[in-house]
Amino acid sequence: MTETTFSSAASRSESPGATAGLWAWLMRHPPAFTLILIVAVSLIVGAINTDFWQVSNLFDILRASVVRGLFALGVLVVLASGGIDVSFTAIAAFVMYAVTMLVVNVVPGMPIVAILALGALGGACFGALNGVLVHVLKAPSLIVTIGTQYVIRSFLLTFVGTALFMNIPAAMDAFGKLALFTHHSANGSTSTLPAFVLILAVASLVTWWILERTLIGRAVYAVGGNAGVAERLGYNLRTVRIFVFAYAGLLAGIAGIIHVSSNRLANPFDLAGAELEIIAAVVLGGARITGGSGSVIGTLLGVVLITLVSNVLILVGIPSTWQLVIVGIFIILAGAIFSIRGRQS
Amino acid sequence: MQPQQNGGEPHLKPATPFLEVRNIEKHFGGVRALKGVSFSIEAGNIYHLMGENGCGKSTLIKIISGAQGADAGELLIDGETVTGLTPVAALAKGIETVYQDFSLLPNLSVAENIGLTQQLVSSSGKLARRLDIPKMRATAERALAAVGLPANRAFLSTRTDELPMATRQLIAIARAIASDARLVIMDEPTTALTKHEVDNLLGVVDRLRAKGVAVLFVTHKLDECKSLGGRAIIMRDGQKVAECDVETHSKADLAFWMTGKVLDDTRQRSAVTLGEKLLNVEKLSRSGFFADVSLSLRKGEIVGITGLLDSGRNELALALAGVSPADGGGIFLEGNEIRLVKPADAIASGIGYVPEDRLSEGLFLSQSIKDNIVVPVLDRLRNAIGIVDGRRSRALAARTVDDLQVVSAGVDKPVQSLSGGNQQRVLIGRWLTIEPKLLILHGPTVGVDVGSKDTIYRIIQRLAGDGMGVIIISDDLPELLQNSDRIMVMRKGRVVKTFTAEGLAEDVLSRALTDDTIARLQ
Repeated sequence: MTETTFSSAASRSESPGATAGLWAWLMRHPPAFTLILIVAVSLIVGAINTDFWQVSNLFDILRASVVRGLFALGVLVVLASGGIDVSFTAIAAFVMYAVTMLVVNVVPGMPIVAILALGALGGACFGALNGVLVHVLKAPSLIVTIGTQYVIRSFLLTFVGTALFMNIPAAMDAFGKLALFTHHSANGSTSTLPAFVLILAVASLVTWWILERTLIGRAVYAVGGNAGVAERLGYNLRTVRIFVFAYAGLLAGIAGIIHVSSNRLANPFDLAGAELEIIAAVVLGGARITGGSGSVIGTLLGVVLITLVSNVLILVGIPSTWQLVIVGIFIILAGAIFSIRGRQS
Repeated sequence: MQPQQNGGEPHLKPATPFLEVRNIEKHFGGVRALKGVSFSIEAGNIYHLMGENGCGKSTLIKIISGAQGADAGELLIDGETVTGLTPVAALAKGIETVYQDFSLLPNLSVAENIGLTQQLVSSSGKLARRLDIPKMRATAERALAAVGLPANRAFLSTRTDELPMATRQLIAIARAIASDARLVIMDEPTTALTKHEVDNLLGVVDRLRAKGVAVLFVTHKLDECKSLGGRAIIMRDGQKVAECDVETHSKADLAFWMTGKVLDDTRQRSAVTLGEKLLNVEKLSRSGFFADVSLSLRKGEIVGITGLLDSGRNELALALAGVSPADGGGIFLEGNEIRLVKPADAIASGIGYVPEDRLSEGLFLSQSIKDNIVVPVLDRLRNAIGIVDGRRSRALAARTVDDLQVVSAGVDKPVQSLSGGNQQRVLIGRWLTIEPKLLILHGPTVGVDVGSKDTIYRIIQRLAGDGMGVIIISDDLPELLQNSDRIMVMRKGRVVKTFTAEGLAEDVLSRALTDDTIARLQ
């Protein structure tokens, strides 16, 4: 009996035909689907406009992926635990503006490492607050974080300030300009890959390690799979909830500092409204909105796809207003495919 | 306290029991769920915690496994009082629970489901720990081998929601015995299993017992309890009403203690006068599932259909309900051919279908009893401007609830607040609102306790008495023998034998399920 029950489970993963097998494999590996979309978009755009293949374009995409990527990793962790967070952009805006203000006015000589740490700490505190509220109020995290988003953003604008900081601290300015690679192209123009892409790389590795190699990481998926069962098995829901929201806040805080450093401008009105785009990227990367799934690699691919679409469609003459149509179609497509996946399992 | 050696001398006190429960009480709001329950559990023995739904046995299990605290009373493990027991602490003490719903994490792998708990226990529930993957895998391999499941890489990394129910059940058991269990609590472990798998499970239980592990079954299945032996702890209404050796008492005794009623398990069916012909099914087929099924049914007649899981009995039921239509043959109701391609067709023809899985296919759990009952007749309850008449639907629901003796705190309470037997009655009541000519009951008493079973049987008999045709699809053979006029046995998609139920022995029926030569000879 044991052999037969097992073989019936295993046979589903084996392929009857090549196409069906490929399809089944794709269903099990959603990030592959994202990768296919990335390759398809690249090939199409690249065929129409060969400028796409410039190193500078690659650098641009990577640069633009950093802030999105950090946000997305945070969203991934929250989604995997069965929650959702829409307050991270407000947290990032608050932290980046308040930290910039603090450094400019109080400690102008603060080194970048300390600034990043301060941003991370501030973000983590806001995030932990989200986690505590979600746990104590037993309220849906969507509602709680919509609330905290409004509160944080309006607190920032009312009490902290609305004036832009054009002259950001020297350490942040230098950090934004610091190049990892500099590429001189044949036509004499220079493009640089900023060093802060390394922060996304490190954050990705750390997030992967936490999710896959620690007990808390497995607990995040366990709670996302079935919170009631996880609690009965002894997983501490409070710890998990506070952790995921604090972690998302921490990454949002770092992302805020990088956003300011890269733009050389601290604008408290920035980042508002970017939440859905980030959540879409994570879902495009294979995480289910209902929780319990998603991977770091998928999330990164989802971010690249979103960034690609919003950066390169202009190269083939698609007006920027149309980019959102493409993103929207991709999301519906991904949603439809993963819903089929859900029904099959 | 020092454990004492028994040494076989009668005047010495026996060794300290592994677990002792003393005067446990628990309140939920104003309801006293447990009113001072005491018993003890010794290593290497088998116990059956028995009682009807709502008697407090689930609450008791939750207290022993640390999921809930008691309001009063003591819990002693190895003779020492424990307070503030948490799930992790209970696990650390060797108390493992296999929950009725298996409590597997659907999105995690087999290895994780089995092995993570142990790591959680060794970190005392702290989550900031590195995952020891090789150890997790080794634990899982060992536990899987113990329950007779394969332990290869592919299986270890399979998500549990991709596995069949029976395999999930075994994985839940594997998790319980993965660490050094001293007491394994199994909450209704055999509900999802076939006969063969139950035997396999019993083998596992024997091995556990041989290792000195105590096993506590939470059950209301008298047959299984009798075949396993051990001690029965019987609860009713939050109290322990009896404790005895299973061998020394009859099933009737146990059932009496559980329900407080004398239940008769004799045939409910007596001489009935059958009406005119109601249903005629001619050579009905659905390719790949069943073929050439013919069946006729008179008004007031009850026909049972049984067979193994792959016999096509479920698909036949679904075809008659219009859920998955047949692709050959014909269905005639009162002489007219009817076409059933969707459930609405069956309802329009006067066929009510009570599905097997009432939780996922039948009931809207979070909605009120009233709304669940009036669903099929909303059209009829609409007033002039198309709004459902609240007063009339309430009256209809109240009448139905009354009629079927549903025990509830009112028709506005959600269905999920009811016990299994009462939920099933609500579901039957729903179909009675369409005043069906034919009622198809698919596993009418799955997961229903003894007392409720009895009530449901009486309802079925009464309906047939009123002239309704009834088809019962079930693998509970005593149920069919008690309730039907004829029993159709299916095997590999075909009807192999139709018995007259009167005077039929269970073992004859049971053999017909698997052995078609015997079925032909009968």
